[in-house]
Order: sequence, then structure tokens, then C-alpha cells
Amino acid sequence: MAFIELDVLNNSPSALALGIDLGTTNSLGALWKDGRPIVLHSEGEAGNVPSVVYFPEQGPPVVGHAARRLAMFDPAHAIYSVKRFMGRGLAEVADDLADVPCPVSETANGVIQFEMRGRKYTPQELSSLILMKAHDQACRALGGMEITRAVITVPAYFDDAQRQATRDAARLAGLDVLRIVNEPTAASLAYGLDEKQQGVVCVYDLGGGTFDVSLLSIEDGVFQVLSTSGDTHLGGDDFDRALATVARAELEREVPALAATAGRPGAFSQTLRLAAEKCKIALSQAPEGELHVSLPESGIQWRRRFTRVEFDALTAPLVERTLDACRRALADAKLTPQDIDEVVLVGGSTRMPGIRARVEQFFGRKPHIELNPDEVVALGAAVQAHVLVGGTRDILLMDVTPLSLGMETMGGAVAKIIERNSSVPCQATEGFTTYADNQTGIDFNIVQGERELAADNRSLGRFKLTGIPPLPAGMARVAVRFHIDADGLLTVTAKEESTGATSRIEVQPMHGLTDGEVETMLAEAYAHAQEDFDARRAADLVTELGTMIHATERGLGNGGAELDRETRLDIDETLERARAAQANSGDDAKALQHARDELERATLPLAAVLMDGVAKSALRGRTLGEI
Amino acid sequence: MSDTCSTCGTELETPLCCTSCGALFELQGRPTAHELFGLPNGFAIDLHDLRKRLRRFGRCLHPDFFATAEPRLRELAERNSAALNEAYEVLADDARRADDLVRRLGGPGEDTERQMPQEFLLEVLEWNEALEEARAGGDDAELDALEATLATRRADTLTEVTRLLDPLPEAGAPELTEVRRHLNALRYLDKTLVQIRELRLERANTR
Repeated sequence: MAFIELDVLNNSPSALALGIDLGTTNSLGALWKDGRPIVLHSEGEAGNVPSVVYFPEQGPPVVGHAARRLAMFDPAHAIYSVKRFMGRGLAEVADDLADVPCPVSETANGVIQFEMRGRKYTPQELSSLILMKAHDQACRALGGMEITRAVITVPAYFDDAQRQATRDAARLAGLDVLRIVNEPTAASLAYGLDEKQQGVVCVYDLGGGTFDVSLLSIEDGVFQVLSTSGDTHLGGDDFDRALATVARAELEREVPALAATAGRPGAFSQTLRLAAEKCKIALSQAPEGELHVSLPESGIQWRRRFTRVEFDALTAPLVERTLDACRRALADAKLTPQDIDEVVLVGGSTRMPGIRARVEQFFGRKPHIELNPDEVVALGAAVQAHVLVGGTRDILLMDVTPLSLGMETMGGAVAKIIERNSSVPCQATEGFTTYADNQTGIDFNIVQGERELAADNRSLGRFKLTGIPPLPAGMARVAVRFHIDADGLLTVTAKEESTGATSRIEVQPMHGLTDGEVETMLAEAYAHAQEDFDARRAADLVTELGTMIHATERGLGNGGAELDRETRLDIDETLERARAAQANSGDDAKALQHARDELERATLPLAAVLMDGVAKSALRGRTLGEI
Repeated sequence: MSDTCSTCGTELETPLCCTSCGALFELQGRPTAHELFGLPNGFAIDLHDLRKRLRRFGRCLHPDFFATAEPRLRELAERNSAALNEAYEVLADDARRADDLVRRLGGPGEDTERQMPQEFLLEVLEWNEALEEARAGGDDAELDALEATLATRRADTLTEVTRLLDPLPEAGAPELTEVRRHLNALRYLDKTLVQIRELRLERANTR
């Protein structure tokens, strides 16, 4: 049952675009409607899609609330916080891998793969499943209207590989990505709408797995990012982990047998993590919270109380890391905390009272918390989507690239090409020449980051320049143009200037999928589409059958006595078969459909009995499920 | 800017686009940063006006307004936006603007003119020493004092640059070499100021 009224349905879906917040813990879709952005969710459903993927024994992976529930009972087949692995290699995420309950490997290009139930999944594929679910939920809230255009948000501090991975995930999900928008910038759009405000705004965005801080100047509807900083590896998860670490140490001291299993990734870690998260949330509501670890198979029920003071002390180093990033952003924008007119808190993790207090103290002013910190990014993305489909020209967003772009020099140092916090789109041209006679190719390494040595920064990959006309050494003049687009993604083109020959650039991406790999995955997804469709239909049928069984049981209680023996027997037998089908034919859509149709047929007489005279004539021919 | 828009005939403010009818144009040749912003050649700049132009032109050619346009137009918006932003970075920064003017007037590049006056080199040695002491001593007052000295020195250097470049000298004039030396000094000052900043951030971090 959708709560969106009909007028939005009269808009053609091609004139609309969704804003989707692809979060570490939760994802959410929003749409611009009647002059403001609204979160899309069906009545009676939570708006968020937990970014959890669960792999059942059979059938396609389950995503969202259902996955979260299933994961509680079977944590060994669930993957949380997949965003932390986007565009990363195994070596970079060693900490996070401790919580991954399955074997992991890396592709030739350094893309992580999780092995679940005999199949390998890249973070891009898992994120695409989450995006599909968020998209599906949003479309259902719109009464089934298909909107395929979308704006997807990423942490401002995401580098090229992480952004590219997000774009690939959206492509795999069948979405037409109009723009990749930075989360804090999106949040400022959602906040900046109410009042025609001017001034400098600081957005402090602590999500489930990432931290961003952005400083923006807002003037005449132009949202200009002055600087951004952050940590793509710092979020609410780390606060959970701080609690879990204490709990684990104490628990293992009390139950030494657990220590043997502790080093092994998997179920115990997940259980601890979830318990810690619960305790953290409790501590945001009350000055004390309980961390309860339940391990029924080991007969362990362990409880430990934490006070807010204890928790704040435990997590103070994490909060200080966020303030370091704030200092950095301020320094880059040549501002001091006193220059900031407004501070906005974004991300579920900013609900922690300790963080609110520390941020208020740092900036010397009360931060804004009017908008739901879990929704504000999706809402802002919907505002930007509205701009991108031509809905308004009153708002203009001018964002920056978070990291400097550089090239590795002969000595392994970095020559800066584009400085961090340059407005995007931006460009720079570098001249290259050959050092040998008739040399027709040049290799170079492009890095992102602020460190002096190339090896300390993130390599975007090896670039291979080919097609240089054979000339004496030093005669060829190749102009290589670097362009960072409005999505923050880099493209490189090259031209030999003395002859005008267009050189070719081949890129071996680091921690990224090649176009070919994305194509293959899309083809596979297409092949699986029928399978997946059947599975989803089966899931829907299981639900429907449950409702019908329940309705029949209730109906029999009310009107069963009035049925003749034969009819009653038929209903009882069919009902039994339906119960069996519902319990055992989980993925067999055909069997379920049959059971459903049979039950509908058998209960027609019951439906008739249940209606009194007037209703009887009005509802003739209807089935029990329909009334 | 005397050119008019080929679509609507309005006089153009920038060769990138027409702020009146919204048409985008392929850039011909290599316009200067000043030309891209429709400003007369010169060192003096009104930052407030520059930002207003950036916003006005941005509203016309930012890729956000071409997200659903045909690929050719979308790509042109990307390129023209990048050119505008690149020019803004040059014009908004005194040192970069001066560097651009020196180059265009045929003055020496930063690598060809490496001579620095003896007294400046002596000053550099002094600052380096002060920075090392501040680093070792962990004393904020020393750091503050050094930063203030450098900031004053920076302002003085910029005043000199302004005096030499406003009004603009002839192409190839000897003043350009002098400006280049000042710019090299600025680069050094800025590098040291960044080091001071990093040291401050480090200290805030360990506190």
C-alpha cells in the first residue's frame, strides 16, 4: 500500500530521478515531490534497507531487513558493511576482514571476492544487490512506477577507485546514474532548502563506516564546497568494535574455551558485533547500557553494563580523529572554527551524545539536528536529482575533489597534477617526451593522496601511452590531459603535438573492474534474471499463502459448521497441502502457485457461507483472499 | 569581449557560453584566464566580482544542467566547466595570477630564473633554524612568532609584485625577472607556512 498520491504518478518516470543513499549500514531512496524531497517507503515498512546481504542455502541472496533477521540466526552466511570493501584491496582492509565469515580472495586487478555457497561475489556485485533492493522499495512506494535514473551518494573522501566501484555497482543494478554526489554536500542541500540562508556551513557526517567533513559557502543558491576532509575507514562500526573488543577480552577471560574460537573469523565475531551495536544504541538513550552476548550453543548468556562515561572514554580517540579531519578542512579553507556560521550533523552515528557534545565544544556552537540524520543524505540526493532532470536552476552545487592527483616521478616521488579541494570538473595538462629514439610508448603511474612518496599514496593504476609516432629521442611532445569530472572520476586523454597523432591510453585499473568484467557480470545477471524472478515470485507466494491459510483457518472457525461434510473435507485436505507447500516449497514457484490456486478453489464455498445476503450478491465470485 | 553570441546575438561575457540564451561554445585556440572571465588583462582583481562571475557562468555551463542532454553537449559542459574552474584558480590566487602574467609577457619561468638575492638566502637559513627549534621545543609561541614573520614577509612580497605588475609592464621588460624572483620567494614562504601548519595539526592531534 503506497502512501504517495496519484499526481506524482502522472509525471512520466523518465522526467524523474531517484536519490539513493548507499550507506555502510543502511541504504535509502528519496524523490523530489511537491517542492520538497521525501523519503520513499511503503506504509508499515521501515524506510531504510539494511545494507546486509544474506546467502540462503538455495536461491538468490537476500537483502535488507530479511537478511538482517536471517543473519541473526546464521551469521556465518551474512556480509555486513560491504561499502568498506569498495574499490579496496585485501591488504588495505585487513581489520574489516576479521568480521567477514567467509573465504576471501582477490581478482587479478585486486578486486576483493567473497565466497559464499560456492559462488564468488565482488563488493560491486553485493552493493548492486543492495541498490536493487533500495530501488525496488522506492519504486514500490511509488505504486510500482519504474524510475531507473538515479543520483547515488558516496562519502566525500572516496577516492577514484571507490567512486568507480560505486558507479559499476549502480550499472550492475540496472540504474542510469546521473551523478555521483558527495554525502555531506547532499546533506547541505537538504538543510539549505528551508531558509534562504547565506554563510559558511560545516557538515560533520559520521556514518556507519566513513567520516566526512565538508565546509561550504552558500550564497544565491550556489552551494560551493570550500574544502573537504575525512576518513573512509572511520564510522559507527569502529565504535561498536571498541565495545566489542572490551567485551571479548573479558568474556574470554571468564570462558577460556572461547579464546580458541576467537581468532577465527565468523559467527562469534558477528554476535559480539551485533551485541555491541545494541549496547551503543542503548547508551545514546540512557546513561547506562547493557551488552548482552547470547551463545546458546555454548550455553553462554553473558551480560556487562557500560556507562556513558566509560563508553566516551573508550571512544575518545575515534572522536579526536574526526576532529583532526575538521582541523584539516578548516586549514585548507583558511578558516577557523569561529568563522563557521552553522554546523550540521549527519549520519546515524552523530546520535551519540558524546559526539554531539564534543562537536559543540569544538565549534563553539550548537549543531543542527533538525533533520533525521539517517535520512538527510537521501533527501539531499533527491534535491540534486531534481536539479539534474532539469527541475530547477535555482540550486547549483559546486563540489571539489578530495585528494590531490599526482604522477610518480623517476625517483618515486610525486609531482602534483591537480591539488586537493580543486573545484570539479577540473583539468590539467602535462607534457611528456620520449627518452629513446623511436620510442612509441610511455608508462606512467597516477596516484591520489597527499604523501610525498608515490608508494605511500593510492595508485589509480598503470597508464600505458601508446601510438606515439617514432621520432628521435626528446622530439615527440605528448600532451596528456587529466580531467576530473563532476562525479569526481578521472579520465585521461593524450595527443602527440608535433604530428597531431592521437595517442592511446590504456589503463590497468587498481582494485577496479574492467569494462569487460562489468559486461560479463551484466550478462550473467541477465541470465540469472529469470531464476531470480522466479525466486522472488516464490517468496511473494509464500507470504500470500500464509495470509490465505490464516484467513481460511479464521473462516473455518466462524463458518465451518455451516459447510457440508464433503466440502469441509476438501478444504481441510487442501489446507493441509497448502501448509506443507508453504513450509517446504520455499523456492518452487510452480508448486506454490498450484497450492495457492487449489486453496482458492476449495475455499470458494466457505467464502460464500461467510457472506450474508447483501454482501453475498455484492461479492459473488470473489475469493476469500480478496475480501 | 566584443564577440556576440552566434545563437541570440547578445554580446558575450565569456567565450565559454552565452549567459543570455544558455548556448555553449567550443573554445577556439587557448584563451587566457582573464579572457575566460571576460576581464581586461591586468594584475588588479576584484575578488567579489570574480566570484560573482564564477557563479553566473557556472549557472550557465555546469554539467548538472546538462545531465540529460545529448553526450556531445554533456561533454562540452564538462570541458568548459573545467576550463572555467582552472581559470578561477589562476585568477583568485595572487601568486598564480602573477605567474600567469609573467609567462604571457615573455618573462622567465620558475625554472629558468633561479637566482635569489643573498639576503633572502640568509633569511631562509634563519627561518629554517627557527622552524627546527619550534619543532624540537614544542613551543607554540615560537611557532606563532615565526608564522607572523613569514606572513608579514609574504604580504610585503605581494605588495612588491603588485607595484611591479600594476600597471602591466611591456612584454619582455626587466621587471618581469624581478617579479619572478619574488614569486620564487613566495613559493618558498608558502612551503614553510605549510610546514608550520602541518606541525600545528600534528600537535593538536597528540594533545
